Amino acid sequence: MSVYLVAAYAVFWAFTSIFVLSLWARQRRIEQEIESLEAQLSDD
Amino acid sequence: MNFLRKVLAIVEKDIAAELHTKEVVSAMLVFSALASLIFSFALDLRGDVAEAAAPGVLWTTIAFAGTLGLSRSMAREEQTGCIDGLLLAPVDRTAIFLGKALGNVIFMAIVEIFLLPLFSVFFDVALLRPQVLLVLSLGTLGYAAVGTLLATIAVNTRAREVMLPVLLLPLAVPVLIGAVQATSGLLEGATLNQVSGWIRILVVYDLVILAVSLLTFDYVVQE
Amino acid sequence: MMEETRTEPTARKPTRDLLGLILAGTSGVLIIFALGMALVYAPRELTMGNVQRIFYFHVASAWVGFFGFFVTFLAGIAYLATGKRRWDILGLSSVEVGLTFIAMTVVTGALWARPVWGTYWTWEPRLTISALQLLIYVAYGMLRASITGSERRARFAAVYGIVAFVTVPLSWFAIRWWRTIHPDILTGGDSMTVTPRMVQTLVVSIGAFTALYATLVRQRVRLERADDALTRLRLRVDERQSRLKSRRSG
Repeated sequence: MSVYLVAAYAVFWAFTSIFVLSLWARQRRIEQEIESLEAQLSDD
Repeated sequence: MNFLRKVLAIVEKDIAAELHTKEVVSAMLVFSALASLIFSFALDLRGDVAEAAAPGVLWTTIAFAGTLGLSRSMAREEQTGCIDGLLLAPVDRTAIFLGKALGNVIFMAIVEIFLLPLFSVFFDVALLRPQVLLVLSLGTLGYAAVGTLLATIAVNTRAREVMLPVLLLPLAVPVLIGAVQATSGLLEGATLNQVSGWIRILVVYDLVILAVSLLTFDYVVQE
Repeated sequence: MMEETRTEPTARKPTRDLLGLILAGTSGVLIIFALGMALVYAPRELTMGNVQRIFYFHVASAWVGFFGFFVTFLAGIAYLATGKRRWDILGLSSVEVGLTFIAMTVVTGALWARPVWGTYWTWEPRLTISALQLLIYVAYGMLRASITGSERRARFAAVYGIVAFVTVPLSWFAIRWWRTIHPDILTGGDSMTVTPRMVQTLVVSIGAFTALYATLVRQRVRLERADDALTRLRLRVDERQSRLKSRRSG
Protein backbone atom coordinates (compact mmCIF):
# COMPACT_ATOMS: atom_id res chain seq x y z
CA MET A 1 0.00 0.00 0.00
CA SER A 2 1.30 3.41 -0.93
CA VAL A 3 3.08 5.29 1.83
CA TYR A 4 1.41 8.47 0.62
CA LEU A 5 -2.02 6.91 1.12
CA VAL A 6 -1.15 5.99 4.69
CA ALA A 7 0.33 9.42 5.30
CA ALA A 8 -2.77 11.17 3.97
CA TYR A 9 -5.13 9.25 6.24
CA ALA A 10 -2.73 9.72 9.12
CA VAL A 11 -2.93 13.45 8.44
CA PHE A 12 -6.70 13.29 8.65
CA TRP A 13 -6.62 11.52 12.00
CA ALA A 14 -3.82 13.70 13.34
CA PHE A 15 -5.47 17.03 12.50
CA THR A 16 -8.87 15.92 13.79
CA SER A 17 -7.45 14.45 16.99
CA ILE A 18 -5.24 17.42 17.76
CA PHE A 19 -8.19 19.75 17.29
CA VAL A 20 -10.50 17.66 19.47
CA LEU A 21 -7.85 17.31 22.17
CA SER A 22 -7.15 21.02 22.21
CA LEU A 23 -10.87 21.72 22.59
CA TRP A 24 -11.09 19.21 25.41
CA ALA A 25 -8.05 20.62 27.20
CA ARG A 26 -9.32 24.19 26.95
CA GLN A 27 -12.76 23.15 28.14
CA ARG A 28 -11.32 21.45 31.18
CA ARG A 29 -9.17 24.42 32.08
CA ILE A 30 -12.15 26.74 31.88
CA GLU A 31 -14.40 24.46 33.91
CA GLN A 32 -11.76 24.15 36.61
CA GLU A 33 -11.36 27.89 36.88
CA ILE A 34 -15.12 28.34 37.01
CA GLU A 35 -15.31 25.88 39.86
CA SER A 36 -12.62 27.60 41.87
CA LEU A 37 -14.12 31.05 41.28
CA GLU A 38 -17.57 29.92 42.31
CA ALA A 39 -16.08 28.42 45.44
CA GLN A 40 -14.49 31.80 46.15
CA LEU A 41 -17.80 33.57 45.73
CA SER A 42 -19.71 31.25 48.02
CA ASP A 43 -17.00 31.51 50.66
CA ASP A 44 -17.47 35.26 51.16
CA MET B 1 -27.65 65.40 -7.09
CA ASN B 2 -27.08 66.54 -3.54
CA PHE B 3 -25.58 63.12 -2.90
CA LEU B 4 -23.10 63.47 -5.73
CA ARG B 5 -22.06 66.84 -4.43
CA LYS B 6 -21.35 65.39 -1.01
CA VAL B 7 -19.22 62.65 -2.55
CA LEU B 8 -17.27 65.13 -4.60
CA ALA B 9 -16.82 67.37 -1.58
CA ILE B 10 -15.13 64.52 0.25
CA VAL B 11 -12.93 63.76 -2.73
CA GLU B 12 -12.02 67.43 -2.94
CA LYS B 13 -11.08 67.49 0.73
CA ASP B 14 -8.83 64.46 0.35
CA ILE B 15 -7.10 65.83 -2.70
CA ALA B 16 -6.65 69.22 -1.09
CA ALA B 17 -5.09 67.61 1.97
CA GLU B 18 -2.82 65.59 -0.24
CA LEU B 19 -1.76 68.57 -2.35
CA HIS B 20 -0.78 70.25 0.87
CA THR B 21 1.58 67.53 2.08
CA LYS B 22 2.01 65.31 -1.00
CA GLU B 23 3.11 62.57 1.35
CA VAL B 24 0.89 59.76 0.13
CA VAL B 25 1.38 60.03 -3.60
CA SER B 26 5.08 60.71 -3.33
CA ALA B 27 5.55 57.61 -1.19
CA MET B 28 3.59 55.55 -3.69
CA LEU B 29 5.56 56.90 -6.65
CA VAL B 30 8.94 56.31 -5.11
CA PHE B 31 7.90 52.87 -3.96
CA SER B 32 6.61 51.90 -7.42
CA ALA B 33 9.79 53.00 -9.13
CA LEU B 34 11.92 51.09 -6.65
CA ALA B 35 9.72 48.00 -6.83
CA SER B 36 9.93 47.90 -10.62
CA LEU B 37 13.70 48.17 -10.45
CA ILE B 38 13.99 45.46 -7.82
CA PHE B 39 11.73 43.15 -9.80
CA SER B 40 13.86 43.69 -12.88
CA PHE B 41 17.05 42.85 -11.02
CA ALA B 42 15.68 39.99 -8.97
CA LEU B 43 13.96 38.25 -11.86
CA ASP B 44 16.60 39.23 -14.40
CA LEU B 45 14.00 40.67 -16.72
CA ARG B 46 15.36 41.20 -20.18
CA GLY B 47 14.01 40.75 -23.67
CA ASP B 48 11.23 38.20 -24.08
CA VAL B 49 11.15 37.37 -20.40
CA ALA B 50 10.60 41.02 -19.62
CA GLU B 51 7.71 41.24 -22.03
CA ALA B 52 6.04 38.15 -20.61
CA ALA B 53 6.53 39.31 -17.04
CA ALA B 54 5.48 42.92 -17.58
CA PRO B 55 1.76 42.58 -16.74
CA GLY B 56 2.50 40.62 -13.60
CA VAL B 57 5.20 42.97 -12.38
CA LEU B 58 2.99 45.95 -13.19
CA TRP B 59 0.07 44.67 -11.19
CA THR B 60 2.15 43.46 -8.28
CA THR B 61 3.69 46.90 -8.07
CA ILE B 62 0.27 48.55 -8.28
CA ALA B 63 -1.10 46.23 -5.61
CA PHE B 64 1.66 46.97 -3.12
CA ALA B 65 1.78 50.67 -3.88
CA GLY B 66 -1.96 50.60 -3.42
CA THR B 67 -1.76 49.15 0.06
CA LEU B 68 0.77 51.83 0.92
CA GLY B 69 -1.50 54.59 -0.30
CA LEU B 70 -4.61 53.15 1.33
CA SER B 71 -2.92 52.72 4.69
CA ARG B 72 -1.35 56.15 4.70
CA SER B 73 -4.45 58.02 3.63
CA MET B 74 -6.56 56.19 6.21
CA ALA B 75 -3.95 56.72 8.91
CA ARG B 76 -3.87 60.43 8.22
CA GLU B 77 -7.65 60.46 8.40
CA GLU B 78 -7.50 58.90 11.82
CA GLN B 79 -4.70 61.11 13.09
CA THR B 80 -6.47 64.32 12.19
CA GLY B 81 -9.70 63.06 13.65
CA CYS B 82 -11.25 63.85 10.33
CA ILE B 83 -13.40 60.78 10.06
CA ASP B 84 -15.07 61.54 13.37
CA GLY B 85 -15.92 64.99 12.16
CA LEU B 86 -17.42 63.57 9.00
CA LEU B 87 -19.48 61.07 10.92
CA LEU B 88 -20.92 63.76 13.17
CA ALA B 89 -21.94 65.83 10.18
CA PRO B 90 -25.24 64.95 8.52
CA VAL B 91 -23.55 63.10 5.70
CA ASP B 92 -24.77 59.79 4.39
CA ARG B 93 -22.30 57.02 5.23
CA THR B 94 -22.38 55.74 1.67
CA ALA B 95 -21.32 59.16 0.46
CA ILE B 96 -18.36 59.02 2.82
CA PHE B 97 -17.36 55.64 1.54
CA LEU B 98 -17.69 56.57 -2.13
CA GLY B 99 -15.83 59.80 -1.54
CA LYS B 100 -12.94 58.08 0.16
CA ALA B 101 -12.85 55.25 -2.36
CA LEU B 102 -12.84 57.71 -5.24
CA GLY B 103 -10.02 59.62 -3.61
CA ASN B 104 -8.02 56.42 -3.34
CA VAL B 105 -8.76 55.58 -6.98
CA ILE B 106 -7.36 58.96 -7.94
CA PHE B 107 -4.20 58.44 -5.93
CA MET B 108 -3.69 55.05 -7.53
CA ALA B 109 -4.45 56.50 -10.96
CA ILE B 110 -1.73 59.11 -10.51
CA VAL B 111 0.75 56.36 -9.75
CA GLU B 112 -0.43 54.32 -12.72
CA ILE B 113 -0.10 57.27 -15.08
CA PHE B 114 3.48 57.44 -13.94
CA LEU B 115 4.07 53.69 -14.16
CA LEU B 116 2.64 52.97 -17.60
CA PRO B 117 5.12 54.94 -19.70
CA LEU B 118 7.91 53.76 -17.40
CA PHE B 119 6.98 50.15 -18.00
CA SER B 120 6.41 50.67 -21.70
CA VAL B 121 9.97 51.85 -22.03
CA PHE B 122 11.76 49.48 -19.67
CA PHE B 123 9.87 46.34 -20.60
CA ASP B 124 9.37 47.25 -24.23
CA VAL B 125 5.64 46.67 -24.20
CA ALA B 126 2.79 48.68 -25.68
CA LEU B 127 0.85 49.56 -22.56
CA LEU B 128 -0.48 52.95 -23.58
CA ARG B 129 -3.49 51.62 -25.42
CA PRO B 130 -7.15 52.26 -24.60
CA GLN B 131 -7.90 48.58 -24.08
CA VAL B 132 -5.11 48.25 -21.55
CA LEU B 133 -6.30 51.44 -19.87
CA LEU B 134 -9.78 49.95 -19.61
CA VAL B 135 -8.43 46.88 -17.83
CA LEU B 136 -6.35 49.12 -15.61
CA SER B 137 -9.35 51.22 -14.63
CA LEU B 138 -11.58 48.24 -13.88
CA GLY B 139 -8.92 46.63 -11.75
CA THR B 140 -8.06 49.82 -9.89
CA LEU B 141 -11.69 50.52 -9.10
CA GLY B 142 -12.31 47.15 -7.50
CA TYR B 143 -9.01 47.16 -5.66
CA ALA B 144 -9.51 50.65 -4.28
CA ALA B 145 -13.09 49.93 -3.24
CA VAL B 146 -12.33 46.81 -1.23
CA GLY B 147 -9.13 48.46 -0.04
CA THR B 148 -10.98 51.47 1.35
CA LEU B 149 -13.35 49.26 3.30
CA LEU B 150 -10.58 47.08 4.69
CA ALA B 151 -8.30 50.03 5.43
CA THR B 152 -11.05 51.52 7.59
CA ILE B 153 -11.14 48.24 9.50
CA ALA B 154 -7.37 47.85 9.65
CA VAL B 155 -6.73 51.29 11.07
CA ASN B 156 -8.81 50.29 14.10
CA THR B 157 -6.71 47.26 14.96
CA ARG B 158 -3.68 47.01 17.21
CA ALA B 159 -1.43 46.18 14.27
CA ARG B 160 -2.96 49.09 12.37
CA GLU B 161 -1.73 49.63 8.81
CA VAL B 162 0.30 46.43 8.88
CA MET B 163 -2.96 44.50 8.96
CA LEU B 164 -4.14 45.86 5.61
CA PRO B 165 -2.02 43.78 3.21
CA VAL B 166 -2.93 40.65 5.14
CA LEU B 167 -6.63 41.41 4.84
CA LEU B 168 -6.60 42.86 1.34
CA LEU B 169 -4.35 40.74 -0.84
CA PRO B 170 -6.20 37.40 -0.60
CA LEU B 171 -9.42 39.20 -1.46
CA ALA B 172 -7.83 40.91 -4.45
CA VAL B 173 -6.96 37.65 -6.23
CA PRO B 174 -9.73 37.95 -8.84
CA VAL B 175 -8.48 41.42 -9.75
CA LEU B 176 -4.87 40.34 -9.89
CA ILE B 177 -5.49 37.27 -12.02
CA GLY B 178 -8.10 38.96 -14.22
CA ALA B 179 -6.13 42.14 -14.86
CA VAL B 180 -2.83 40.37 -15.46
CA GLN B 181 -4.34 37.80 -17.80
CA ALA B 182 -6.32 40.40 -19.72
CA THR B 183 -3.28 42.67 -20.08
CA SER B 184 -1.17 39.70 -21.09
CA GLY B 185 -3.61 38.71 -23.76
CA LEU B 186 -3.87 42.25 -25.07
CA LEU B 187 -0.10 42.57 -25.26
CA GLU B 188 0.06 39.36 -27.25
CA GLY B 189 -2.26 40.89 -29.80
CA ALA B 190 -5.67 39.66 -28.67
CA THR B 191 -8.72 41.81 -29.23
CA LEU B 192 -10.89 43.12 -26.43
CA ASN B 193 -13.44 40.52 -27.39
CA GLN B 194 -10.99 37.71 -26.92
CA VAL B 195 -10.14 38.75 -23.39
CA SER B 196 -13.79 39.49 -22.60
CA GLY B 197 -13.91 36.62 -20.09
CA TRP B 198 -11.34 38.35 -17.92
CA ILE B 199 -13.03 41.71 -18.37
CA ARG B 200 -16.25 40.15 -17.23
CA ILE B 201 -14.61 38.86 -14.05
CA LEU B 202 -13.30 42.35 -13.33
CA VAL B 203 -16.70 43.95 -13.90
CA VAL B 204 -18.52 41.39 -11.75
CA TYR B 205 -15.92 41.81 -9.03
CA ASP B 206 -16.27 45.58 -9.09
CA LEU B 207 -20.05 45.41 -8.86
CA VAL B 208 -20.11 42.81 -6.10
CA ILE B 209 -17.44 44.57 -4.06
CA LEU B 210 -19.12 47.94 -4.43
CA ALA B 211 -22.44 46.49 -3.34
CA VAL B 212 -21.03 44.68 -0.33
CA SER B 213 -18.86 47.63 0.71
CA LEU B 214 -21.77 50.06 0.53
CA LEU B 215 -23.92 47.71 2.57
CA THR B 216 -21.35 47.03 5.28
CA PHE B 217 -19.43 50.32 5.56
CA ASP B 218 -22.05 51.64 7.91
CA TYR B 219 -21.28 48.86 10.37
CA VAL B 220 -17.57 49.53 10.19
CA VAL B 221 -17.77 53.20 11.12
CA GLN B 222 -20.56 53.08 13.68
CA GLU B 223 -19.26 53.65 17.19
CA MET C 1 -24.95 38.84 51.69
CA MET C 2 -27.18 39.17 48.66
CA GLU C 3 -27.23 36.57 45.93
CA GLU C 4 -27.83 38.08 42.52
CA THR C 5 -30.13 36.00 40.38
CA ARG C 6 -28.25 34.20 37.71
CA THR C 7 -29.73 34.62 34.28
CA GLU C 8 -27.37 32.19 32.55
CA PRO C 9 -26.54 28.72 33.82
CA THR C 10 -22.85 28.35 34.56
CA ALA C 11 -20.87 25.64 32.86
CA ARG C 12 -20.00 24.12 36.19
CA LYS C 13 -22.68 21.49 36.10
CA PRO C 14 -21.82 18.82 33.53
CA THR C 15 -24.57 19.80 31.12
CA ARG C 16 -25.94 16.88 29.18
CA ASP C 17 -25.34 17.96 25.62
CA LEU C 18 -27.76 15.72 23.77
CA LEU C 19 -27.31 17.41 20.44
CA GLY C 20 -23.54 17.16 20.75
CA LEU C 21 -23.73 13.48 21.53
CA ILE C 22 -26.02 12.79 18.60
CA LEU C 23 -23.72 14.69 16.26
CA ALA C 24 -20.65 12.92 17.56
CA GLY C 25 -22.29 9.53 17.23
CA THR C 26 -23.57 10.22 13.73
CA SER C 27 -20.25 11.48 12.47
CA GLY C 28 -18.42 8.59 14.07
CA VAL C 29 -20.58 6.08 12.27
CA LEU C 30 -20.43 7.94 8.97
CA ILE C 31 -16.65 8.34 9.13
CA ILE C 32 -16.16 4.64 9.67
CA PHE C 33 -18.55 3.94 6.81
CA ALA C 34 -16.73 6.38 4.56
CA LEU C 35 -13.36 4.90 5.48
CA GLY C 36 -14.57 1.45 4.58
CA MET C 37 -15.93 2.63 1.28
CA ALA C 38 -12.83 4.66 0.41
CA LEU C 39 -10.38 1.90 1.24
CA VAL C 40 -12.30 -1.20 0.20
CA TYR C 41 -15.55 -0.60 -1.64
CA ALA C 42 -14.24 1.92 -4.14
CA PRO C 43 -12.33 0.36 -7.00
CA ARG C 44 -8.64 0.69 -7.59
CA GLU C 45 -8.23 3.54 -10.06
CA LEU C 46 -6.82 2.65 -13.45
CA THR C 47 -4.05 5.17 -13.92
CA MET C 48 -3.14 6.18 -10.40
CA GLY C 49 -3.61 3.05 -8.34
CA ASN C 50 -4.42 2.97 -4.68
CA VAL C 51 -3.03 6.43 -4.02
CA GLN C 52 -6.12 7.80 -5.67
CA ARG C 53 -8.10 6.83 -2.57
CA ILE C 54 -6.77 9.98 -0.93
CA PHE C 55 -9.10 11.80 -3.29
CA TYR C 56 -12.27 11.08 -1.29
CA PHE C 57 -11.16 12.63 1.97
CA HIS C 58 -9.23 15.34 0.13
CA VAL C 59 -12.31 16.53 -1.77
CA ALA C 60 -14.56 16.05 1.27
CA SER C 61 -12.35 18.25 3.43
CA ALA C 62 -12.14 20.83 0.64
CA TRP C 63 -15.91 20.95 0.54
CA VAL C 64 -16.19 21.32 4.30
CA GLY C 65 -13.53 24.04 4.28
CA PHE C 66 -15.61 26.03 1.85
CA PHE C 67 -18.83 25.24 3.68
CA GLY C 68 -17.35 26.51 6.91
CA PHE C 69 -16.60 29.76 5.14
CA PHE C 70 -20.18 29.95 3.95
CA VAL C 71 -21.48 29.45 7.48
CA THR C 72 -19.20 32.25 8.71
CA PHE C 73 -20.61 34.44 5.96
CA LEU C 74 -24.17 33.75 7.07
CA ALA C 75 -23.24 34.18 10.73
CA GLY C 76 -21.67 37.53 9.87
CA ILE C 77 -24.86 38.74 8.24
CA ALA C 78 -26.88 37.48 11.18
CA TYR C 79 -24.61 39.27 13.63
CA LEU C 80 -24.79 42.59 11.81
CA ALA C 81 -28.57 42.25 11.61
CA THR C 82 -29.19 41.25 15.23
CA GLY C 83 -26.11 42.20 17.24
CA LYS C 84 -26.38 38.95 19.21
CA ARG C 85 -23.19 37.36 20.50
CA ARG C 86 -24.32 33.86 19.52
CA TRP C 87 -23.77 34.64 15.82
CA ASP C 88 -20.30 35.92 16.51
CA ILE C 89 -19.56 32.69 18.37
CA LEU C 90 -20.83 30.66 15.43
CA GLY C 91 -18.68 32.67 13.04
CA LEU C 92 -15.45 32.21 14.93
CA SER C 93 -16.15 28.54 15.62
CA SER C 94 -16.82 27.85 11.97
CA VAL C 95 -13.56 29.56 11.04
CA GLU C 96 -11.52 27.49 13.47
CA VAL C 97 -13.02 24.22 12.33
CA GLY C 98 -12.95 25.24 8.67
CA LEU C 99 -9.30 26.15 9.01
CA THR C 100 -8.53 22.66 10.29
CA PHE C 101 -10.26 21.08 7.31
CA ILE C 102 -8.68 23.41 4.78
CA ALA C 103 -5.24 22.65 6.21
CA MET C 104 -6.08 18.99 5.81
CA THR C 105 -7.09 19.64 2.21
CA VAL C 106 -3.82 21.30 1.33
CA VAL C 107 -1.65 18.65 2.97
CA THR C 108 -3.54 15.67 1.54
CA GLY C 109 -3.55 17.38 -1.83
CA ALA C 110 0.21 17.62 -1.74
CA LEU C 111 0.49 13.98 -0.62
CA TRP C 112 -1.68 12.97 -3.54
CA ALA C 113 0.15 15.12 -6.06
CA ARG C 114 3.60 13.79 -5.26
CA PRO C 115 3.19 10.13 -6.29
CA VAL C 116 0.83 10.91 -9.16
CA TRP C 117 2.55 13.88 -10.77
CA GLY C 118 5.99 13.85 -9.20
CA THR C 119 5.69 17.19 -7.49
CA TYR C 120 4.28 18.19 -4.12
CA TRP C 121 2.58 21.26 -5.43
CA THR C 122 0.52 21.76 -8.54
CA TRP C 123 -1.44 24.87 -9.33
CA GLU C 124 -4.48 22.71 -9.68
CA PRO C 125 -7.60 24.85 -9.17
CA ARG C 126 -9.00 23.03 -6.13
CA LEU C 127 -5.65 23.00 -4.37
CA THR C 128 -4.97 26.63 -5.22
CA ILE C 129 -8.35 27.86 -4.01
CA SER C 130 -7.88 25.84 -0.82
CA ALA C 131 -4.53 27.44 -0.18
CA LEU C 132 -6.14 30.84 -0.77
CA GLN C 133 -8.97 30.05 1.64
CA LEU C 134 -6.39 28.95 4.18
CA LEU C 135 -4.78 32.38 3.99
CA ILE C 136 -8.13 34.12 4.29
CA TYR C 137 -9.04 32.03 7.33
CA VAL C 138 -5.72 32.96 8.92
CA ALA C 139 -6.30 36.62 8.09
CA TYR C 140 -9.69 36.41 9.80
CA GLY C 141 -8.07 34.95 12.88
CA MET C 142 -5.35 37.60 12.91
CA LEU C 143 -7.98 40.31 12.57
CA ARG C 144 -9.90 39.00 15.56
CA ALA C 145 -6.74 38.71 17.62
CA SER C 146 -5.80 42.27 16.77
CA ILE C 147 -8.94 44.02 18.00
CA THR C 148 -9.69 44.95 21.56
CA GLY C 149 -13.30 45.20 22.60
CA SER C 150 -15.60 42.30 21.94
CA GLU C 151 -18.33 44.30 20.24
CA ARG C 152 -15.96 45.87 17.72
CA ARG C 153 -14.22 42.55 17.18
CA ALA C 154 -17.50 40.84 16.38
CA ARG C 155 -18.56 43.62 14.04
CA PHE C 156 -15.33 43.84 12.08
CA ALA C 157 -14.96 40.09 11.90
CA ALA C 158 -18.51 39.83 10.57
CA VAL C 159 -17.82 42.40 7.85
CA TYR C 160 -14.56 40.72 6.87
CA GLY C 161 -16.20 37.31 6.80
CA ILE C 162 -18.86 38.64 4.47
CA VAL C 163 -16.56 40.49 2.08
CA ALA C 164 -13.99 37.68 2.04
CA PHE C 165 -16.55 35.04 1.26
CA VAL C 166 -18.03 36.83 -1.76
CA THR C 167 -14.59 37.00 -3.35
CA VAL C 168 -14.00 33.27 -3.09
CA PRO C 169 -16.29 32.13 -5.95
CA LEU C 170 -14.80 34.89 -8.11
CA SER C 171 -11.30 33.74 -7.27
CA TRP C 172 -12.35 30.18 -8.04
CA PHE C 173 -13.50 31.09 -11.55
CA ALA C 174 -10.46 33.23 -12.18
CA ILE C 175 -8.12 30.44 -11.10
CA ARG C 176 -10.04 27.89 -13.17
CA TRP C 177 -9.83 29.96 -16.33
CA TRP C 178 -6.22 30.72 -15.65
CA ARG C 179 -5.45 27.00 -15.48
CA THR C 180 -7.49 26.29 -18.60
CA ILE C 181 -5.40 28.76 -20.57
CA HIS C 182 -2.12 27.81 -18.95
CA PRO C 183 -2.41 24.15 -18.01
CA ASP C 184 0.45 22.72 -16.09
CA ILE C 185 2.66 20.94 -18.59
CA LEU C 186 3.59 18.42 -15.95
CA THR C 187 0.16 17.60 -14.64
CA GLY C 188 -2.26 18.53 -17.37
CA GLY C 189 -5.16 18.43 -14.94
CA ASP C 190 -7.15 15.55 -13.47
CA SER C 191 -7.14 12.42 -15.57
CA MET C 192 -9.18 10.06 -13.48
CA THR C 193 -11.63 7.55 -14.81
CA VAL C 194 -14.71 7.87 -12.62
CA THR C 195 -17.05 5.00 -11.86
CA PRO C 196 -20.42 5.05 -10.03
CA ARG C 197 -18.85 3.40 -6.99
CA MET C 198 -16.40 6.24 -6.72
CA VAL C 199 -19.19 8.78 -6.88
CA GLN C 200 -21.06 6.98 -4.09
CA THR C 201 -17.92 6.88 -1.95
CA LEU C 202 -17.36 10.57 -2.54
CA VAL C 203 -20.93 11.45 -1.55
CA VAL C 204 -20.68 9.42 1.67
CA SER C 205 -17.32 11.00 2.45
CA ILE C 206 -18.70 14.47 2.01
CA GLY C 207 -21.66 13.60 4.23
CA ALA C 208 -19.40 12.15 6.89
CA PHE C 209 -17.12 15.16 6.90
CA THR C 210 -20.06 17.56 7.08
CA ALA C 211 -21.34 15.69 10.14
CA LEU C 212 -17.87 15.87 11.63
CA TYR C 213 -17.76 19.59 10.93
CA ALA C 214 -21.09 20.07 12.72
CA THR C 215 -19.85 18.08 15.71
CA LEU C 216 -16.65 20.09 16.00
CA VAL C 217 -18.41 23.42 15.56
CA ARG C 218 -20.86 22.51 18.28
CA GLN C 219 -18.02 21.70 20.68
CA ARG C 220 -16.21 24.92 19.83
CA VAL C 221 -19.38 26.92 20.38
CA ARG C 222 -19.84 25.33 23.82
CA LEU C 223 -16.24 26.10 24.64
CA GLU C 224 -16.72 29.76 23.76
CA ARG C 225 -19.91 29.99 25.81
CA ALA C 226 -18.07 28.49 28.77
CA ASP C 227 -15.36 31.09 28.27
CA ASP C 228 -18.00 33.83 28.29
CA ALA C 229 -19.42 32.44 31.53
CA LEU C 230 -15.93 32.44 32.99
CA THR C 231 -15.41 36.06 32.01
CA ARG C 232 -18.68 37.07 33.65
CA LEU C 233 -17.69 35.14 36.75
CA ARG C 234 -14.32 36.85 36.93
CA LEU C 235 -16.10 40.17 36.72
CA ARG C 236 -18.31 39.29 39.68
CA VAL C 237 -15.33 38.19 41.73
CA ASP C 238 -13.54 41.46 40.95
CA GLU C 239 -16.63 43.48 41.83
CA ARG C 240 -17.01 41.69 45.13
CA GLN C 241 -13.35 42.18 46.01
CA SER C 242 -13.44 45.88 45.25
CA ARG C 243 -16.64 46.20 47.30
CA LEU C 244 -14.99 44.48 50.25
CA LYS C 245 -11.94 46.68 49.93
CA SER C 246 -13.97 49.88 49.92
CA ARG C 247 -15.98 48.65 52.88
CA ARG C 248 -12.80 48.04 54.86
CA SER C 249 -11.22 51.35 54.04
CA GLY C 250 -14.43 53.33 54.26
